[in-house]
Order: sequence, then structure tokens, then C-alpha cells
Amino acid sequence: MLVNLQGPWSPLLGRLAVSQIPYENPILVGTFVLVVALGMAILGAVTYYGKWGYLWREWLTTVDHKKIGIMYILVGLVMLLRGFVDAAMIRSQQAMAVGPDSAGYLGALHGYLTPFHFGQIYTAHGVIMILFAATPILVGIMNIIVPLQVGARDMAYPYLNAVGLWLTTAGAALVMTALFIGDFAHAGWFGNLPLNELPYSPGVGVDYWIWAFQLSSVGTTLGGINLIATIVKMRAPGMTWMRLPMFTWASLSANIISLTSFPVLTVSLALLSLDRYLGTHFYTAGMGGNLMLYNDLFWIWGHPEVYFVILPAFGMLSEIIPVFSEKTLFGYTGMVLASFGIAGVSWGVWLHHFFTMGSAPDVNAFYSVSTMLVGIPTGVKVFNWLFTMYRGRLRFELPMIWACAALFFLLVGGMTGMMNAFTTNDYMVHNSVFVVAHFHLMLLLIVYAIFGAVNFWFPKVFGFKLNERWGKWFFWLFTAGTATVFIPMFTLGFMGMTRRLDYIPYAQWQPLLDAEMAGIVLYSLSAVYLVAQLYVSLRDRALNRVGADAWGTSRSLEWATPSPVPFYNFAYIPHVNARDEWAWRKENGIAQLRHDRYEGIHMPKNTGVPLVLGALSLVLAFALVWRMWWLAALCLAGIVILVIMRSFAKDTDYIVSPEEVKRVEDALWAGTHARGTEAEGGRGRGAVGGGLSPAHSPSAPK
Amino acid sequence: MTHGADNPLEHPEVQLANGRSYLLVYLFSCALLGAATWLVTRQAMTPIGLFLLTTALAGVVVVAQGVFLLHMEFSETQRWHTVSLVLFIPLFILTIGLSAWMFHGLYRRTMLMPEMPAPAAAAPAAAGMPSMPAMPGMQR
Repeated sequence: MLVNLQGPWSPLLGRLAVSQIPYENPILVGTFVLVVALGMAILGAVTYYGKWGYLWREWLTTVDHKKIGIMYILVGLVMLLRGFVDAAMIRSQQAMAVGPDSAGYLGALHGYLTPFHFGQIYTAHGVIMILFAATPILVGIMNIIVPLQVGARDMAYPYLNAVGLWLTTAGAALVMTALFIGDFAHAGWFGNLPLNELPYSPGVGVDYWIWAFQLSSVGTTLGGINLIATIVKMRAPGMTWMRLPMFTWASLSANIISLTSFPVLTVSLALLSLDRYLGTHFYTAGMGGNLMLYNDLFWIWGHPEVYFVILPAFGMLSEIIPVFSEKTLFGYTGMVLASFGIAGVSWGVWLHHFFTMGSAPDVNAFYSVSTMLVGIPTGVKVFNWLFTMYRGRLRFELPMIWACAALFFLLVGGMTGMMNAFTTNDYMVHNSVFVVAHFHLMLLLIVYAIFGAVNFWFPKVFGFKLNERWGKWFFWLFTAGTATVFIPMFTLGFMGMTRRLDYIPYAQWQPLLDAEMAGIVLYSLSAVYLVAQLYVSLRDRALNRVGADAWGTSRSLEWATPSPVPFYNFAYIPHVNARDEWAWRKENGIAQLRHDRYEGIHMPKNTGVPLVLGALSLVLAFALVWRMWWLAALCLAGIVILVIMRSFAKDTDYIVSPEEVKRVEDALWAGTHARGTEAEGGRGRGAVGGGLSPAHSPSAPK
Repeated sequence: MTHGADNPLEHPEVQLANGRSYLLVYLFSCALLGAATWLVTRQAMTPIGLFLLTTALAGVVVVAQGVFLLHMEFSETQRWHTVSLVLFIPLFILTIGLSAWMFHGLYRRTMLMPEMPAPAAAAPAAAGMPSMPAMPGMQR
């Protein structure tokens, strides 16, 4: 060992010992029982219904971009739930532990969470919500939609796509493992140095945090490479740059950011790992180390990451608003330039995360101005969306109400962001819950865009719409929860409440903290309505089947495919004639033309290698966390050998026969395209019901 | 899958890979960098001469590696390699340059820098406060 470890270490188990299992903590034991029961129920159901083969063939080994996208979103939703539970615990602790007379339970002096446990919860909440909820859901939606929008049959690298998914999943699994074996980091989601160094965080929590970050970072970088290559090289004939749908433009700009910024994160965390594992002094407070270098490196990634998650959300709004305004998007060229303007400026603003660190005034002034510059392209986008709606034939269906609310949160979050961009103001509110409320509203704008996008594209992927009534209940309760949590939080920030408090000394803050708690109750209630919406939609799917054009007024190329989309996407690679290709085809009366003969389609074969790589990466990370060197070496060797073996594999693709294509297309035309015609006649508005064959499930074309 | 590109070995990018040129440029780089190291350790020239010569040698190595390893070229199909590098330069300047600028100001304010000259005379201590010895680089 090159560093002094606290506690025992053995060559076989490393730092792992029975005492690392937190069996004395009733909250974690209860969670463990729940997770095991749920896991057993799922595994039991899969066994009972004999679905293991189906699961393996159709999902676990798939390289289909749509299925990979769906799995990304499922991982994101599970982690969203976990992150939400963390949020509820933070809020309830802060509502309980107010004033010196507040009671303490479960070993805590006040409230029910000890400071160390509370520290782990807010750290996990941040890491999970940003890296394992928002990012996978956005990557999942990009995965599904971008190839369809550019007229491709899959991503440029389908195998790499699956590797990215399973690496991200391994990262999420590592965070969940930290719940039950050892503990998680307690130093905040972005890591406070030198608190993250080994002498101050001697446990395995920070190591879990490092390796979970690294796995997801590699996964996202691979995804970024794939999406860029897909957009640059896989566009259908006629899909010129200035005909590209706006969501694809947004995805391109976002992934250029991810490709250029994630390596910086990898390096900054690698240096921290060297400090913790080999005893170097990159970030120590002495011995030539520089803990401020960590802040600088982390936020060189951290701020572009903010735009990596927000640009796809802007792209989603740009797709939803024209469809429900029944107009073309206003200011297309301006939108493209604004996306790249935001992406470009995102590289020069990172220091605003640490204005108070002590940089020279001219440095702070530079970053203050550059931060405010972001408002210009963002303002261009907002005005373009408003002008798209201006004199449009507005329909407030589910995707549209989520999109409109997202615009509202962009305004509130953006304005408070401008306030923080003033260095003088930032000195007043830095590290207060005002900043926390600001960035939560910005992230909620992304969440609203995501829910809008899920409602918008769900019928394209699954062939039926989500229930509107339950969906609107969910929307309004969620929005009420947002207002009730974050308006008091802004107020408390101005009153001087700092972030991450496990105990609040001022009893006069109790009413506002109680209001935030009420907001969390509303959020919880809204989650029930979300589950109800999904259940009712699934139950009544036969009543809500849609044709190719689910909303009747859709515009871009993905709506030219049947709903649900067959596994090869397009029977023929489409020829693109206009910017809003599907709208153009409808206007010119060729939307319903079909081919009279088909050709074989070249497709990639499924493979289990990415899943095994993900599993090996998970064990590798676990071994590194617990310093089981033999296991880490074994897994690393396994990964290297597997990658080399795969690179020699020849049998990686196949040709779908023209007869098979014809069979699938006939089934789809008999069902969905007939309904698509009705939809166009009825201009959407629920006119897309109609009978359909029950055999026409999402997996039927396969 | 891309259109009609069954065999990865037929991709123009893969065709560019050439073990012999990789090995040659590697040996060439090693030779030039070794020569530079030898010149510096032997102090074969004046400092300014060494600086100029090693910079020139490094420049030659960078160009050789750029052309033979990273395939910087201007043909219509392969110029994207060059475009990628050119697009990377502003980001490099932005991050390294702005960080250096920030740390330059930051050190003067927060770090005690032994190599900086001490102030000529320590400012007098505030009344009633124990006097504090002037430390190198301390801003009074």
C-alpha cells in the first residue's frame, strides 16, 4: 500500500468486511428488504411467464437503437425514483430538525438522520439526478429519435451503443450497491476538496463516487461519439444540413459538448484517484498540491455538462411547439445558430461556479460577462418559440402543456441565473439555497421538456398514446409541488439559509420549511398519478392506437415511419425533399405512397458482449472501491481479452430478406397506416383511435 | 448500419492505417526527441540556441505525427481529420489560457508564494493586535 488506510485490509477481500454492511441502520435494512422483495417479484414473474429467452434475445443482447434508448430511459426512471426518495429524506430532515428543541430519532440529535448519513443522501441525490437520471433519459431519447430523424436504420456504431448503455447501467448499479455495502460519498455531488482526500474521507464512499462517475462518463462519451457520427455520416439522401430537424441539431451541439468536456472530468477524477490510491498530491492542501485545481478542472467539465443536458431539452421544445401550433418553426437558422452559440459560450463560463474562491476582479468580471452572454442565444430561442406560437392554431395536449410550463421555468430559472451571474450578487447568495432553487428550476425545465417529449414520442415508439386525463392530473400536481417546494426555497435563500444543513438553528424558518415539505407531499402524490397514467395507458392501449402521424400535424421525418417503428426503421432509405419532410409529403399528397417491392436490408446482429463488458466493469469498479487488487486485475484482463476477441468477430451482421420486410410492412400498412390516414383527415385531436389487430404489439414486427 | 459498407477493412479510414508508417514515424520521433535530449544534457549550445533548436525539433515531430499518425491531410474525404484538430485548438486555448489567467490572479491573493520577493517593509500591525511576521508574498 502506498497510502495509509484506516482499518483492516486483507489480500483476498481488500477492505471489505461484515462490519461494512449497515445492518444496524433500520432505514437501510428496510430499503434492502424492499429491494430484495421487488427484485424477487420481478425475477419470479420473468421465470413464471417463461420470458428469460425473450428478455435475453430481444433486450439484453439487442443493438437496436430504439430498444437501447428505451432501456436507457428505464434506468433513468429507476434512478429518478431513487433520487426522489433522497430528496424527500432531505426535505423531511430539514422540516424536523429545526431549533434546539426539535426531537431526535434513530441516533440523530435532531431529526432522524445523522450528519454523516445526511451528507451521503444529498451527495447521492445530486449525482443520481444529474448523471443517472437526467443524462440517461436524455441520451435514451436522443438514441431513439435521432436515427429516425436523419433517416438511418440504426446508429453509426450499434455495438458501441450497447456498450455505452451497459457502462452507464454499471455506474448506476454501483451507486445502488453503495446503499447496502459500505457507504457513499458525503462531500457533495461535485466533491469538496480536500474533504474528498483520503485523510478526511477515509471510508470507501468517495471511491464509490469516483468509479460511478467514471463509468457513466465513459458511457456518455461513447454515446456522444456515436450520435455525432450518426448525424454527420448517416443522413439520408437529401437530408442536407439545413433540412436537419431541430432536435437533431440540438443533439449534435450537445454531443459535441459532451465529447469535448467529459475527458476533462475523467482526468480530474483520475488525478483524485491517484491521490487516494497512490498517495500523490495533486489536490492536497500541502506538499505542492493545489485543491483549487480540482474546482477548476471539475467545472471545466461541469458547466458544459449543464448545457449538455439543457440543449436536448431545448430541441424537444423545438419539436413539440410547432406540431401543436400547427405551424413551421419560426427562425430555423437562428435556432441552429443559437444552439451552437450556447454550446460555444458554455466553454467560457465555468468559473462562475466559484466566484468566491478569490480570483482577481478582472477574471471574475470576464466570467460574469461571458455568463450573461448565454442569455442572448437563449433569448433568441425563447422568442422563436413564442413567434412559432403567435397566431398559431394552438392545441394544449399533454406534450404542449409540459412544453409551455418548461418555457415558464426557463424564464424563472434563467432570470435568477442572471442574478447569480453578477459577482456582487453571487457573493451574497453563494452556497445558499437560493442557488439551489435556481439550478433546480433549470433542471426542472429539462424534466418538463422530458415529460413533454415522452408524451410526444411515446406513440411513435409503442404505437399508442398515453392517457390524457391522468397525465393532466400528474402535470398539475407536479407543477403544484414544484411551486410549493421552490418558492419558499428562494425565500429562505434570501433569508440566509445555506445549503446542505442537517440541522436548522432558526425556529422562525419552520413555516417555510414546512411549506417545502408540503411540496414534497404533492410531488409524491403526482408520482402516483404518473404510475396510474402508465397503467391506464397500457391497459387501454387498444383504444389509443395511432397511425404513423400520431398527432395529425406532425412535421419531421420520424413521423413517416409506422407506429410502432419496425426494427429496420425504413423499408427504403427515404429521399428527403424538404426541411419538414413529413409535412411536405402530406402537402404534396405522397404521404401514403408505398413501395410495390422490397429489397434485403443489412442489419447488425445482436450480441451479448456489451452486457458482459458492463458486468465486468461493474465488478472492476467494485474491486477498485474495496481495493481487491486480484479481482480488479482479473476483470481488467477479462475486459481487454473480450474487446480483442470481439474485434476479430466476423459474424456481426445479416440481411433481412425482402419477403420478411414485405411481411412486416404489410402487417403495418394493414394496421397503422390506415389509421394514419384517418388522423390526417381529423387533424389529430384523438381522431386516431380505431380497431387494430391485437397481434400488433411493439415487438410484433420482429 | 451504414449503407453498403459490409467489410470494415474497406473503409477509407481503416485503409489509411499502415503499420510500417506508424513504426517509422515512431522511430523518427524517438530519434529527434533523443537528439534534443542529448543536446540539452550536453549543453551543446547557448541557452537561446538550445531553446530555438529544441522548439524546431519538437515542431518537426508534431508535424510528422500529425501527418502520419493522425492523418492530417486536405483531400476531400479525409480533411475532416484536419478540421477536427483545428476546431480543437480554440477549446484548448480557452481552457488552458483562462485557467492560467485565473490562477495567476488567484495565487497572488490566496497562496503564499516562497519564490516571490518579500515586501520591503511589513505594514505596521493594527493597534491591539499581536504583530504578525511578514511572510514571503504576503499581501498587506
